Amino acid sequence: MYATIGIWVGAFFTLAIYSFLYKENPIYRLAEHLVVGISLGYGMAITYDIVLKPRLIEPLLTGNHWILLVPAILGLLYITRFIPGIAWLSRYPIAFLMGTAMGVGFPLTMKTDVLRQLEAAMQPFYQSGMPWHVVFGNIVLIFGTLAALIYFFFSKPHKGLFFGTGSKIGIWVIMLGFGATFGFTVMGRISLLIGRIQYLLGDWLHLIE
Amino acid sequence: MIVMVGGILMMVQYFIPHQYSQAVFNSYTEWAPIVGAFALILGVGSLTRVHSHKIRRKAKNWQYSWAVLLPLFGMPVFALLLPQSLAGGMEEPSIFHFLFMHIQVPIQSTMFSLLAFYIASAAFRAFRAKSALATVLLLAAVIVMLGQVPIGEVFGRWLPETGLWILRYPNLAAKRAIMLGVGFGILATNLKIIFGVERNWLGGAGK
Amino acid sequence: MLNLDRRWIFLAIGVVSIIPFLVGIGMPISTTAEVESIFDYVNGLDKNDAIFISFDYAPGTQAENTPMGVAVMRHAFYNDVPVFITSYFPLGHGMAIEGLNYVTNPAVPGFYQRVSFEEWAVFREAGITDKDELVIAWENDGNVLPEGAMGWVFEGRDFAMLGYAPLFHLVILGMTASIEAQYPQDIYENQLYEMPMLREHKSLREISLALTTAGSSACRSWIVYGREKVGLPVAFGVTAVMATDYFPYIQSGQIIGQMGGLRGAAEYEVLLAENGITASTDKAFRGMDVQSAAHMLIILLIIMGNIAFFAGGFHKKTAMKGRG
Repeated sequence: MYATIGIWVGAFFTLAIYSFLYKENPIYRLAEHLVVGISLGYGMAITYDIVLKPRLIEPLLTGNHWILLVPAILGLLYITRFIPGIAWLSRYPIAFLMGTAMGVGFPLTMKTDVLRQLEAAMQPFYQSGMPWHVVFGNIVLIFGTLAALIYFFFSKPHKGLFFGTGSKIGIWVIMLGFGATFGFTVMGRISLLIGRIQYLLGDWLHLIE
Repeated sequence: MIVMVGGILMMVQYFIPHQYSQAVFNSYTEWAPIVGAFALILGVGSLTRVHSHKIRRKAKNWQYSWAVLLPLFGMPVFALLLPQSLAGGMEEPSIFHFLFMHIQVPIQSTMFSLLAFYIASAAFRAFRAKSALATVLLLAAVIVMLGQVPIGEVFGRWLPETGLWILRYPNLAAKRAIMLGVGFGILATNLKIIFGVERNWLGGAGK
Repeated sequence: MLNLDRRWIFLAIGVVSIIPFLVGIGMPISTTAEVESIFDYVNGLDKNDAIFISFDYAPGTQAENTPMGVAVMRHAFYNDVPVFITSYFPLGHGMAIEGLNYVTNPAVPGFYQRVSFEEWAVFREAGITDKDELVIAWENDGNVLPEGAMGWVFEGRDFAMLGYAPLFHLVILGMTASIEAQYPQDIYENQLYEMPMLREHKSLREISLALTTAGSSACRSWIVYGREKVGLPVAFGVTAVMATDYFPYIQSGQIIGQMGGLRGAAEYEVLLAENGITASTDKAFRGMDVQSAAHMLIILLIIMGNIAFFAGGFHKKTAMKGRG
C-alpha cells in the first residue's frame, strides 16, 4: 500500500515537472520548491544521525572525549556568520578546513594530475606487434597532447612554426575531443530520460518489466 | 595565519612517517568531518533567511516559500523526533522516507531528464557546421554517438571502432592537456590560498 | 522550418523514447576493454578480498549510476566478496540504501537474501565468521534460502552500509589509516569493530578495489586520496557527460577501468549474463534500444537543422551581418 501510494505520488510529480515542457505552471513551481526544501532537510537529518550523533554527541556523553569540544566549538562558529557584529569569527572554521585541505591535497594532486599524467604521456610510438591504428594513435596522442598544451599557452602570440602550427594542430585535436564529449553528453541526457520512462511505464503503469 | 599554518603543516606531514606526524593526521581526519557537518548551518540559515523575507514582504510567489521551509524543518522532525508509531524514523515506511524516495528522487531525476528534450531542440536549432572546425566537431560527435549504441553496429564494425579510437587517442590527448593545465592551476591556487595571496574564499564576512 | 515550435521536437523525442520499450527489440551490444577490465578484476576476487562501492551521486543521475553500482554489487555477492558501501553526498546516502535494497529485494529476479547483523549474532559469538562455514551453520539451523534467491548475504560479513560522511575526500584520506576511525558504526548503529569484514580489512590498504559511481568530479577524490596515497585500485562508474574526461586516467593506469554512462552499465550487465552470474540483463541493457532510436532522431535533427540553415541562405546573411 505504502509503495503503491508512493509510486503514484512519484508519477504525479514526474508528470508535474514534464508539464513545464508545455508551459510553466503552478504545479511545476510547487515541485521545484519542494525539492529544495526536502533535499536540505534530508541532509540535515542524515548529517545529525550519521555524523554528529555517533562522532560527537555520544562520545561527549560518555565523558571521555572532551577534546572533541574543540571541533564542536569551531563548527558552531559558523553560526556567527548571521550575527553582523561578530561575523568575522565564521572565518576560523573555514580557514581550518581550507588550509588543511589545501595542504593535504597539494602533494597528492601534484602526483595525480601532473606527475602521473606526464609519465603516461611518455609512451613509445611503436612496439613489436602493435597494429597500425595503435601506432598512429600513439603518434596522435603524444603530438596531440603537446599541440593542445601549446594552444592553451596564451602568454605568447600563436605565430611561427612552434606556436602557430602547434596551436593550429592543437585546436583540431581539441575539436575532436570536444566532439566526442558532445556525443557522450547527448547519450547521457537521453539516458536520464530513459530512466524516467522506465519508471513511468514499468513501476507505475506496469506496461514493461 | 590559520590557513598558512594548517596548509604547511599538512603538506609537511605527508612526507614524515613519524608517529607524531601520524597523530596530527589522525586528529585532523577525525575532526574535519565534525567541523564540516556544522557547515550545513550556513546553507540552512541562508535559505531560511531568503524565504522568510519573501513571506514577510509578500513578494511575488511568496506562497511557494512555504513549500521550501516546511519540508526543510519538517524532515529532521519526522526523522529524529516523531515516534515510529506515528510514521516517524528514517527507514521505510515513514514520512521521512516517503518524502525522500517518492517526492525528492522523482522530482530531481525528472528535472535532469528535461535536458534530453532541450538537447534535441538544440540539435535542430543551434548545432551548425558553420566552419571546418565545427564540422569536425559534429562529425566526431555523430561517429561517437552512433558507435555507442547497438544500431551503430548495423552500419559495420568500423563505426564503433572508429568511435573508440577517437575516444582513446585524440580525445585523450585533448583531455590530458586540459588536465595538466587544470592541475597546475589547482596547485598554484592552493599555494596562493596557503600563503594568503588569494582571499576570495573568505567571502567578505565582516572586516 | 527553422521556426518550428520546439514543443513538436519535445513530442518527437518523447514518442521515440517510449516506442522501443513497448516493442522490445533487444539489439545486442558488444563490450569494450574499459568495462571488461573492471569485470575481469572483480571476477578474480574472492571471499578473502573486500571492495568499496561508493554511491557518489545525487538522485538526478540515478538512471545512469544506480545500474552500475547494482551490477558490481551483484558480481561481488556472487563471488562472496565483502562490500563496504559509502556515499560522498547526503542524497547519495539514500541512493546507496536503495541500491542495496534493490539487490536484496525478493520481488527482483536474481535477488540475494539479506540477513541482518542481529539475526546471525549467535553464530558470530560462536566464532563462525567464515562465509562458507556460516552458510552451512545458518542453513543447518533451519533457515531455507527462498525460491529465486541467488544466495545469502550477511550484514557485517558480506556487506556493511557505512553511508555518508561530510568532507568525504578527507574521510577517504582517513580510511587509508583506519576505516573504523572514520565510521565507528554503520547506519544501523552496528559497531564496526564487531564486524568480521572490518576485522579482516582494517584500512584502505587492505581493500582490493574501490568502485566509485559518480555524477560529478567526486570520483577523482578516490584517485587523489586513495590510489595515490596507498595504491588503492580504483574503478570508475561515471555519467556519460564526464566519461570522456577520464580517459587519461585509464591510459595512465590510475584507474583499472571505467563504465561510461548507461552503455557502460549495459555492458557490465551483458558480461554478468554471459558468464552466468545473473540469469539475464537488467534495466541498463533494456534502455539501449531507446538510446539507439533517440540518437538517430538527434542526428536527423542536426542534419535537418543544417539543411534548413544553409538552404535558407542564413549562413550568407550571418556573414554579411558580420561585415556591416
